[in-house]
Amino acid sequence: MTAALIELNQLGFAWPGQPPLLDIPTFRLERGESVFLKGPSGSGKTTLLGLLGGVQKPDRGSVRVLGQELTELSFAARDRFRVEHTGYIFQQFNLLPFLSVRENVELPCRFSRLRAERARQRHGSVDQAATHLLAHLGLGDAQLLERRADSLSIGQQQRVAAARALIGQPELVIADEPTSALDTDAREAFIRLLFAECREAGASLLFVSHDQSLAPLFDRHLSLSELNRASRPATPEVI
Amino acid sequence: MYLLRLALASLANRRFTAFLTAFSIALSVCLLLTVERVRTEARSSFASTISGTDLVVGARSGSINLLLYSVFRIGNATNNIRWDSYEHYAQHPQVKWAIPISLGDSHRGYRVMGTNQSYFEHYQYGRRQHLQMAEGREFATDPFEVVLGAEVAEALKYTVGDTLVLAHGVSAISLVKHDDKPFKVVGILQRTGTPVDRTLHISLGGMEAIHIDWQNGVPARGNGRISADQARNMDLTPTAITAFMLGLNSKIATFTLQREINEFRGEPLLAILPGVALQELWSMMGTAEQALFVISLFVVLTGLIGMLTAILTSLNERRREMAILRSVGARPWHIAGLLILEAFALALAGVVAGLALLYIGTALAQDYVQANYGLYLQLAWPSAYEWSLLGIILAAAVLMGAVPAWRAYRQSLADGLSIHL
Repeated sequence: MTAALIELNQLGFAWPGQPPLLDIPTFRLERGESVFLKGPSGSGKTTLLGLLGGVQKPDRGSVRVLGQELTELSFAARDRFRVEHTGYIFQQFNLLPFLSVRENVELPCRFSRLRAERARQRHGSVDQAATHLLAHLGLGDAQLLERRADSLSIGQQQRVAAARALIGQPELVIADEPTSALDTDAREAFIRLLFAECREAGASLLFVSHDQSLAPLFDRHLSLSELNRASRPATPEVI
Repeated sequence: MYLLRLALASLANRRFTAFLTAFSIALSVCLLLTVERVRTEARSSFASTISGTDLVVGARSGSINLLLYSVFRIGNATNNIRWDSYEHYAQHPQVKWAIPISLGDSHRGYRVMGTNQSYFEHYQYGRRQHLQMAEGREFATDPFEVVLGAEVAEALKYTVGDTLVLAHGVSAISLVKHDDKPFKVVGILQRTGTPVDRTLHISLGGMEAIHIDWQNGVPARGNGRISADQARNMDLTPTAITAFMLGLNSKIATFTLQREINEFRGEPLLAILPGVALQELWSMMGTAEQALFVISLFVVLTGLIGMLTAILTSLNERRREMAILRSVGARPWHIAGLLILEAFALALAGVVAGLALLYIGTALAQDYVQANYGLYLQLAWPSAYEWSLLGIILAAAVLMGAVPAWRAYRQSLADGLSIHL
């Protein structure tokens, strides 16, 4: 059996001086799978994503991504590992406003040689990869690519963020409430686009949201509070 | 390289603050370099007030006092020296030339100096430059002729052929005037940038003539008065002068002759080496000059601290920017590098703009400063010393950039990928 994309085992985490926030006996995300993870704010969702990204270290247990035990890596190596294998989409204001749309999409390739290399292999050049992805996400207008990122509508910005998460084919795309700033119609359209692109790129999608109505669109949906033994409704999330 | 592009793009996004920050650094750099250049130029111009003169001799007092009244026309002599003392040394075998100086009168705030032909022939300033006539001629045998320094002529709008009346004493408002013996302007000297420009030169005979009927410091009345024409026919050899300057045949003799003059039995005299006295005087004024330099250094520091403040205040609102960069793979040291590059870019822009301001300012003010203060500000390439000052400013900026860089580094570690709304 090949290694799962994400494999959590007996994971425990608490912020210093606070009660345990996360206690997850087991969690797996297979390659190519799209998973909806429901987590109200304060449920430790952001912390979990931090642990998956290697920004935080668990107090105990293991975090394996692509078979690699993150806790065994040095801080710098975890940083590198994250950018090479994970693309992120956040709630909103995902983009650097002072860069052009194209530059925003190409950012991960600037910091990761691996992703730049993959983009080149697949599309010929990083530029072409960006153009291709944006065109697929409905942003085909060449002029638009050179505009400042903050001149776009929120919906367009989220699609740019999706293109950025996907460039250079990371194995995993983590989306943290990416649709909360969009209206209902746009939400579903955005998620379908995201699915299509993830499928084409062969990426798994971990989609975190509190909006249950989106759940049926995914291969699998689960709730963080079921997953997390430490979850208590009153525990505030502290950053 | 890509980091630099990001730093510049981010700065451009905050262009108004960035512009003000760079501008304040530019102003401080411009001030520092201006002070530095004026200081260097003032020192060399000061040192070149008098040159070629080996000894200045006057009544015994302090060396700086003697230098001040004989060369800079500042202050007064405590005592006169006898004419025969002057003649004694003017004919000394070691002496090549001698210039007698007689002070004490003024004209509308400008000092009048009595001297003779050898002044025009031997007095030197700057890089051994002689005095040149701009208009007219030197004073000749008639005692009532005056040669004006450039500034006197310009400020009081005199031309050759005008007549003027000298005042007794040196206060700006003089109650006693030598109005019975007016002087005629026969020549105007070229500008030198030295106190010569602010001096009216008359012959020793003229100086003697205006005081010939004076007794006990007041003019004679009634029959005692002597008219200008009468004076012309009298013996106008002075009995006393204020000081004299000596040029020697051989520099080696300077100290010997100095000692000889200081031990002169006829009357108490003081001989000074003008170069040494200038040094002494400059070292007194040097404190002010140093202070000015230190102040301009502090202004630069203020400019840099302004930059530091601007970057630090921007950090909080840029947490999102940092988190986005982290999420696309920037490591914490990238974030730190970004802020150091930002500080460097601001300081570099400031230094370049400061240099531009300096050159524009110099080009515009050059003639005015030369004419009014005798300082020649060159449009020269920065000297090695100035380059090193600029280098230190840049290094200081980078060092200061380390403060926000460190904070952003810590911040990006703590924030991770979470974006604060």
